[in-house]
Amino acid sequence: MIARDAGLSLVETQALSLFVFAGSAQFTAAGLFATGATALEIVFTTFLLNVRHVLYGLALGRQVRLDGWRRPVAAFFLTDEVFGVVSTRRAPTFGYLLGAELSLFVTWNLSTLGGGLIGGAIPDPTKLGLDLVFPLAFLALLVPLVRTRVELVVALFSGALAYVVAQMSSGGVPIVVTGVGGSLLGAWLTRGRPVEQARLEDAIREVA
Amino acid sequence: MTFWLTLAGMVAVTFGSRYAGLALRTELPAFCVRFLHFVPIAVFAALVTPSLDGDLGEGEIRVVGALATVVVARRTKSLGLSIAAGMIVFWLLRIPF
Repeated sequence: MIARDAGLSLVETQALSLFVFAGSAQFTAAGLFATGATALEIVFTTFLLNVRHVLYGLALGRQVRLDGWRRPVAAFFLTDEVFGVVSTRRAPTFGYLLGAELSLFVTWNLSTLGGGLIGGAIPDPTKLGLDLVFPLAFLALLVPLVRTRVELVVALFSGALAYVVAQMSSGGVPIVVTGVGGSLLGAWLTRGRPVEQARLEDAIREVA
Repeated sequence: MTFWLTLAGMVAVTFGSRYAGLALRTELPAFCVRFLHFVPIAVFAALVTPSLDGDLGEGEIRVVGALATVVVARRTKSLGLSIAAGMIVFWLLRIPF
């Protein structure tokens, strides 16, 4: 629905869900398409957001035996939520993993179709103030992620940085600059602290 | 056309990340893990502030709507309810102006 308001067609919106299948990156890409970001900026931001899947893969690869065709299939449908569900099982199988993945895939794509049909039916989104849905959606995604003081500092710093950079440049530049800058700040502020497994699992539940 | 090129790039980096983890058997440096933890926070925050003002000079009431979203998001963690709260507050404030 957000993607439709950003000027994407129904087919394009659905293609994002079918092929990319990554919630936060899809939302973000829709926002970036709307601001006229370049392809490179959108792809790089997607990369920043989805590189965390390497972590999930590393953990899951140890729990589930995946060889031959099973590995690319399992990889394509891997998400935060799937990792959250599967990693808590003691001895997950490929079947269990794929079941969790596909049930989420179908739900996500059906809701995309529904939202796309509704979003396309709204005539003049900006005049109604519907463009406010963009920042509000990301705010609602952001709030549950901010639980520690460092996370709050990073969120406030990133918001301010993006606002300033956006006055000087357009498109995806503020997001790319802030994505790297804010994350560096957070990593630097938490340096020396142990990276426990619990924290990683928390991160997954937050993003999900 | 640009859209489909962009989509192809998105698919490549997303699938690449998902596959790499399953295929590799190694540990990431601690700094990388910490960096990745903060990426969604930084990116989402960056997507909020630049478009909060809007083009119609309604900056103040849009910010008030955003505050409503924060309050509801803290309590419910529901994406739909949080957005709805912000929009309703914004539309209500819009009436007198």
